[in-house]
Amino acid sequence: MGLAILLGLFGLCVLLGIPVAFCMGIAAAAAFFYEGFPLLIAFQRINAGISVFSLLAIPFFIFAGELMLHGGIAARLVRFASTLVGSMRGGLASVNIFSSMLFGGISGSAIADISALGSLLVPVMKEKGYRGDYAVNVTVTSSIAGIVIPPSHNMIIYAIAAGGGISISNLFLAGVVPGIMMCGLLAVVAYVLALKHGYPSEAFPGFSAVLVAAAAALPGLVTAIIIVGGVLSGVFTVTESGAFGALYALGLTVLVYRSLSWKGFVRAVVTSVRTTAMVMILIGCASAFAYLLALYRVPDLLTDVLVTLSDNPYVILFLLNVILLLLGMIMDMAALILICTPIFLPIAENIGMDPIHFGIMLLMNLGLGLCTPPVGTCLFVGCAVGKIPVEEALKSIWPFYLAMFAALMLVTYVPAISLTLPALFG
Amino acid sequence: MTSMPPVRSRLQRWLGAVSALSIFISACMLVVLVAVFGWLVFGRYVLNVTPTWVEQLALLLVVYITYLGAAAGVFEKNHLGVTAFRDALPAPLRRLAMLIADTLIAGFGLVMLVSSIELFEFGWSTDLPMLNIPESFRTLPAAICGGLMFLFAGARVLAISLDLLKGRPASQELD
Repeated sequence: MGLAILLGLFGLCVLLGIPVAFCMGIAAAAAFFYEGFPLLIAFQRINAGISVFSLLAIPFFIFAGELMLHGGIAARLVRFASTLVGSMRGGLASVNIFSSMLFGGISGSAIADISALGSLLVPVMKEKGYRGDYAVNVTVTSSIAGIVIPPSHNMIIYAIAAGGGISISNLFLAGVVPGIMMCGLLAVVAYVLALKHGYPSEAFPGFSAVLVAAAAALPGLVTAIIIVGGVLSGVFTVTESGAFGALYALGLTVLVYRSLSWKGFVRAVVTSVRTTAMVMILIGCASAFAYLLALYRVPDLLTDVLVTLSDNPYVILFLLNVILLLLGMIMDMAALILICTPIFLPIAENIGMDPIHFGIMLLMNLGLGLCTPPVGTCLFVGCAVGKIPVEEALKSIWPFYLAMFAALMLVTYVPAISLTLPALFG
Repeated sequence: MTSMPPVRSRLQRWLGAVSALSIFISACMLVVLVAVFGWLVFGRYVLNVTPTWVEQLALLLVVYITYLGAAAGVFEKNHLGVTAFRDALPAPLRRLAMLIADTLIAGFGLVMLVSSIELFEFGWSTDLPMLNIPESFRTLPAAICGGLMFLFAGARVLAISLDLLKGRPASQELD
């Protein structure tokens, strides 16, 4: 009965449009009350969920991403990417994807990626004769790479949701190849479509221009090197590297690039506060919710159900992907990482899957969900930036979905794609 | 959609100011958080002296940023939620769903306020390590958040209820 109250009330609250954090909080408080526990234990768990030292990295990563968004780093990365891959057929699409890989890798946020690169590249692409839906679809789908290419605050959320026993540096390493592979597959699709539509290529500006653009973009790229390198080398903890990355981004945009205005700084701080609060309250409420899921042995129950459907690990993996994709279509990423990890990770481990491998698969699934309606935040932001209706983008997004799905299947069924780098350098 | 009556408009502005103040305090705390952590990194790697109080202060600041920002998020309606199902309902049912949703949020805020005050009282005799201030300061923002959530969502419940009772169409702040 307690489990029915927990899940039933949670589902009802979601349907009513209540923020997911409070859906979990309300359902957990009701279940605690039903079980006869003092209600203050629920709030103690929420507080304890927020007061975790490694979570301190999240506001730093978010702040660093916002500083880059408002501080002109994106424009320099686009210029560098343009000199490097712009001369290919449909060059601006390749520039868009390559820039996403670089910027997403630094900021770790798909939304920041779309806002920064979309507003720079989509108008230029449209001006040069690219269709608006094509430009938006390239921007939206390639932004997902930022979620798996390190550093990514979603990886920290996953590590916390998994109980804190997973190495964040191994997660960082595990995301590199899947992220690059996803971008590669998207670039192939964009190229084929560019050939079909006869999109133009940009003139190659010469090697000296490539070097100049690289020199301008390099200080920005160093942010990612500081964060990831600091963690991997063991010099910094994740939190310290996040703080150092944020301070470096601040120094770079204020002192070196001189492109961060006071207004831009205030906007970066305020947006970071809003995003941090949104993510952290989710983590706190999910902590109380996950406590009850464990109490009611939900992962064990679900494992039993899945095993009755099939005992073939490949089939179970496919079912997990389908469930995660469907959930990703109706709920946002951070919430789903927190809800799904305690439920599905034990199932994955039960069939012999490495938690690092599962984490990357989970992030890619939920990333795909960000590009799909009805709750596709990236898709909606991309359409708003590109000034086209969502329906128009959806008509031609299918080849890009297929590329992302192919990347997801490869990552799911070929563990070496995500586990080789952690095995070599972890 | 109709324009708001003057009293409601004033209330809306007042609540907006409270929400903006919460964001302002959180924003200042984020700047302090980055600064103190910068000091930690500098101390540990340059001066070879680790300021141990920084970690505890940082944890405390994050709790304040989270709860104050989360409370403002209730006013600004910027929390992550799934509104697709509610939005698909016909207008009268949608208003009813919003009324129930805001009532539940206000109720949750009230329970958070009461429980956090209890936790505040329990924590008064215990000090936070390194900071030498009562543990209660860690639960204080949760009480403030609960109170503000009750205020923000409660005001919307009142507005929707009055509209429904008087047979008025939805006011601006509800759309």
